[in-house]
Amino acid sequence: MTPAVGKERALNADGSSLRRDFADRSELIAYVRARFPEAADVSEHIAETRGGRRAALRRLEQVEPPRYAQTRNHLNGSVTHLSPYLRHGCLTLAEVRDAALNAASDPREAVTLIRELAWRDYFQRVYAEIGDGVWNDREPSHTGVGEEAYSDEVPEDVTQAGTGLACMDAFSSQLTETGYLHNHARLWMAAYLIHWRRVRWQAGARWFLSHLLDGDPASNNLSWQWVAGTFSQKPYVFNRENLEHFSGGEYCARCALSEDGCPFAATVEDLQGILFPDAPGDRFS
Amino acid sequence: MNDHRAANTVVWVHGDGLSPTNPALIAFPDAPAIFVFDDMLLHAYQLSLKRIVFLYECLLELPVDIRRGDVFDHLIAFARENDATRLVTTLSPAPRFRQLVEQLSVEIVVTVLDVPSLVDYDGQPDLRRFSRYWRDVQHAALKPTAPDGTDEFVR
Repeated sequence: MTPAVGKERALNADGSSLRRDFADRSELIAYVRARFPEAADVSEHIAETRGGRRAALRRLEQVEPPRYAQTRNHLNGSVTHLSPYLRHGCLTLAEVRDAALNAASDPREAVTLIRELAWRDYFQRVYAEIGDGVWNDREPSHTGVGEEAYSDEVPEDVTQAGTGLACMDAFSSQLTETGYLHNHARLWMAAYLIHWRRVRWQAGARWFLSHLLDGDPASNNLSWQWVAGTFSQKPYVFNRENLEHFSGGEYCARCALSEDGCPFAATVEDLQGILFPDAPGDRFS
Repeated sequence: MNDHRAANTVVWVHGDGLSPTNPALIAFPDAPAIFVFDDMLLHAYQLSLKRIVFLYECLLELPVDIRRGDVFDHLIAFARENDATRLVTTLSPAPRFRQLVEQLSVEIVVTVLDVPSLVDYDGQPDLRRFSRYWRDVQHAALKPTAPDGTDEFVR
């Protein structure tokens, strides 16, 4: 693991520099665990995803804009996995855009991917404008649910993957073990926490930031707000049909609550009625 | 950037710019460079071990001195160790970054370089909703970067 660029520098006089010479990844991990014990207390899992621009460029070569456009909403779709690298500047949005245009036989094939890149640019611009305001509701949610109904903590059965819902438990484990969740799974998990479990979106956003390799307060918090309905026309609600379709049915097939007790088994309209009984008028119709 | 004299300069790499193509590292290839794990953010965001390892792997590809603690204190100490009168970094939208630049500017000359943008848009796009923003910028966003578009200038 020698640095790709520049020369090694000696440790500074008071020894406050951290080490750069590691024989392999396991040595690096052991060192980081020792030097950041409180991070290991949060969660000891290590992601398979490697950091660095070299890993980012290898990922970038695999981007297939037309397949991305067709399959990106499916959990097994051809998504790019570039978000941790974009979040930390290993790649720029412009570089990914240019690569997508190069990889497409017609520029129109790359529009869907570039539009998703633009979401990140959009959130960054909003962040530059409002700063720590990303932690506050951008606007009222119009759900008719009072502030006092929401909890400040993500319930332990969710963080410990013990809800009994095969989908949510799988997403929780994946988040904490790999530092990655497909975008659709993020939306389902966020909606479940905010609307079904009545957890303040800020608590869910903090949980995600701890674990997501791409976690940043701009994209993360503003997406949670989009689900909550505090940065959109209406709160985001999904149903079982939607989750089953885009997950290929894998969770419902093995879920103990599949036949009886699935809280998502209804039409979106009916769920809105159940979740937001006091929403003003025909707000969500 | 035509001023490549590094004698009085140190480079501050932060968590939004972990690439050997970071404009500050490119503009000042011979200047000592530093990254500081920000104790305040580590605590505030309760970053888990996998996030730190990912960041660390990014850092090992960069010619930076890696430290941990109070960012302001480390940056000032690093500048003094290297007899620097100027600190160069790259722009970030994070409020913590803005606050640090403000504090640092009292002690040392701070130069913030821009980073390449997705959209070369003349003006301020409408940020009220993504749909409005996209309507404003999509034409620019769908254009490839111009061959000479280094987008590099000093703020």
